[in-house]
Amino acid sequence: MTSLRAVTLRLLEQLRDDSVDIDAAHVVAPSSLEETAAILAAAAEAGMPTAFRGSGTHCGYGIPVSADLVITTTRLDAIVDWQPDDLTVVVQAGVPIDVLEAEIATRRQTAVLPEMMPGSTVGGAVAIGLSGYRRLRYGPTRDRVLQVRMATGYGKVITGGSPVVKSSTGYGLTRLATGSLGSLGLIGEVTLKLWSQPLSVATVEVDDAAAALDALYRPLAVLETSEGSFAYLGGAGDQIAAQAGQLGAAHRFGLVWPEPLTEPFQIEFRVPAAYLATAAGMARGLGASRWIAEHGVGIVSAGFATVDTGELAEARAWAESVAGALVVVAGSGIEFDPWGSPPSSLEIQRRIKTAFDPAGVCNPSILPGNL
Amino acid sequence: MDVPAQLTELLGASRVHTHPIDRLIYAKDSGVTAGDPAVVVLPETTEEVAAVVRIAADAGMPVVARGAGTGLAGGAVPCPGSVLVVLTRMNEIFEVDEIGHTAWVGPGLINLDLSDALTDQGLHFAPDPASQQASTVGGNAATNAGGPHCLAEGSTIAHVLGVELVTAEGEVVMLGGAAPDLPGYDLRGLIVGSEGTLGVVTRVLVRLTENPPSVATMLVSFDDINDAARTVSEIIGSGLVPAALEMMDRGMIEAIENFVNAGLPVGADAVLLAEVVGHPDGIAAEVDLIQEIAQRNNAREIRTASDDDERALLWKGRKSAFGAIAQAAPDYYLNDTVVPRTRFVDVLDEIYTIADAYGLRLMNVFHAGDGNLHPLVSYDAAESGMTEKVIEAAHEMVRVSVAAGGTLSGEHGIGLEKRDLMSQVFSADDLDAQARVRDAFDPDRLMNPGKVLPGGSRCFERPAG
Repeated sequence: MTSLRAVTLRLLEQLRDDSVDIDAAHVVAPSSLEETAAILAAAAEAGMPTAFRGSGTHCGYGIPVSADLVITTTRLDAIVDWQPDDLTVVVQAGVPIDVLEAEIATRRQTAVLPEMMPGSTVGGAVAIGLSGYRRLRYGPTRDRVLQVRMATGYGKVITGGSPVVKSSTGYGLTRLATGSLGSLGLIGEVTLKLWSQPLSVATVEVDDAAAALDALYRPLAVLETSEGSFAYLGGAGDQIAAQAGQLGAAHRFGLVWPEPLTEPFQIEFRVPAAYLATAAGMARGLGASRWIAEHGVGIVSAGFATVDTGELAEARAWAESVAGALVVVAGSGIEFDPWGSPPSSLEIQRRIKTAFDPAGVCNPSILPGNL
Repeated sequence: MDVPAQLTELLGASRVHTHPIDRLIYAKDSGVTAGDPAVVVLPETTEEVAAVVRIAADAGMPVVARGAGTGLAGGAVPCPGSVLVVLTRMNEIFEVDEIGHTAWVGPGLINLDLSDALTDQGLHFAPDPASQQASTVGGNAATNAGGPHCLAEGSTIAHVLGVELVTAEGEVVMLGGAAPDLPGYDLRGLIVGSEGTLGVVTRVLVRLTENPPSVATMLVSFDDINDAARTVSEIIGSGLVPAALEMMDRGMIEAIENFVNAGLPVGADAVLLAEVVGHPDGIAAEVDLIQEIAQRNNAREIRTASDDDERALLWKGRKSAFGAIAQAAPDYYLNDTVVPRTRFVDVLDEIYTIADAYGLRLMNVFHAGDGNLHPLVSYDAAESGMTEKVIEAAHEMVRVSVAAGGTLSGEHGIGLEKRDLMSQVFSADDLDAQARVRDAFDPDRLMNPGKVLPGGSRCFERPAG
């Protein structure tokens, strides 16, 4: 690592972020992507490992990064342009999801971002590729990121995608950025496709989640959890009553989501939806304190006080044998490879990483295959 | 041994073509540009495709993949000296997962054949481009194709979960899969819409969509296209997302009625076709809501169909559009731009003005719900200078769409047609980032070179006349 130029040090000092307590030599909060790109160019030149941070609610993804420089999105906190009649919003990365959703709810719209973690940022959800429970109905977050502006590891500001709801114009850089976990640079601003909220919504407790999914036409979500099974319905009032009647269960209006998992060690099975029941059974067998299985999606999230890593490795081998994965999403206290086997496309993945972060300073080694 | 001889040894003489007539047959897609492959091959397996790519790579020859050739942007036009890989023989449905609603299919499978094969399971493949009776799933993936029902369901990108890809080096990799959020970069998301420039897709894992329990289709006519536009805006603003929301303008209605008797109201300024799907108890309320909005905006007539025969009749006009155009003049140029949906009336006005200025006959049939415009010029390419004039006008129509906050293409892709317009929507740094992606997949730039990104070798020419 070469040393930082004086001008860079002055910039870092000027942009210092005192709002977070993180153990790193420099913690900065740039107020624009151009500043971010300048900082990243300097970090690349100095070979300085750099991490990115939103509100810090989901720091457990991937291989832990030890960074000398942390760039936060604290000052990228504006809802830039909401066009309710076009069902789009341009929003900066540091805006908390609940702030954005509250704003657009005034016109009964939703960005369908994850429901669970108040304070999590839009940029964090996009960088992780995190979707909410309603992906069963509306698809994953990555399908709603229409445009992305980012500062790359090579110190440029780039825009990918198009600002409209439909496009076949150039490569899908929005998909590449979504879920890239800060390994290519900092995602600073996204244009999201919005949905109108259903006329009314309801939660129904059911005995058999799989049977409920089978019986319903496009529910918002069907969750089987350690505390019971629930179907989430949206539509006109009559329609909800009819569908609840079909399930033979009483409904209550509103969406009552499970309490978030809070265990220090959490995993996700990500498997083809047909294997969901097996994965849920494994989560129970591994001794999960709590778990949530998303029917029709193929994700089982499970939290543990303690777990046998040998059994965990066996569960991972099974998940991979059905073309799925078992990943660690919060890894405190237990040593276990967060990702498992790297994808067959590792060589191309490596070239992509190198193309966007030639100096290897952006969240180094956070991805599978230590990319 | 030269390349055709090596390919013949691999595939047999019946699946390797070098005769000028064969090369001419495959020289074009459905757009206006022609190329000329050195050799045309028809592989039947992934291994064969991989071997073809390796032979071409060793010889430094470009590889261009092609499905049915219904594309309109020139993405499948073979550059001179290329190996053209025709994938139509790879049209199998390998396995259908009825629980997870997915299927692995060959890239050469025809879009509508896939949905037809799934009738008994109550499933279908949601992307429904107008070409769906001929276009292939692989081609749909390459262009990120759309269609009327992409309004609610999303374009092809939302319906391709994974691909098997033969890389530029001739290796086989799996990208994505049936499981959600697989670790690593979403390379599947880069492949869809990349128009064959990142490798050759040899199998596609498609997401299947449940057939709706009930469907209602409405045809609403207006004396003023502005009323139709306001109806679209108010429907979207009401919170309802119809399954489809299509519009035809006066010129299109007349052309269709001259061609088939679809019962469209000739003399109307615009016709809106709206479809809602869902639970039977919900649909009636949605139909009422659309009727109420349309009436408030001076609808002249509203027809509602609830059974399949009536629905087919209402869709007949929309689906006959391209046949109708063929009857009006020997050639047509179908453009494809997107604007914010609140802006489409203003942009349509400007597009009519452009057509008038060039003295061109313009008609519009388009996906109003998502602002995806398809201005269509019917003309005779045999008239000297006509094709050039049509293309010039088309580029102006793109410019006004972009100026309104839109983009170059909603569902046809960039190909050759709009490659040199990319700098209207992307900066040099943006294009450089896309070129980095391309080079990561294809360092030697042998996969469908000269498409999508500008600045490639200009090795194409338009057919004479």
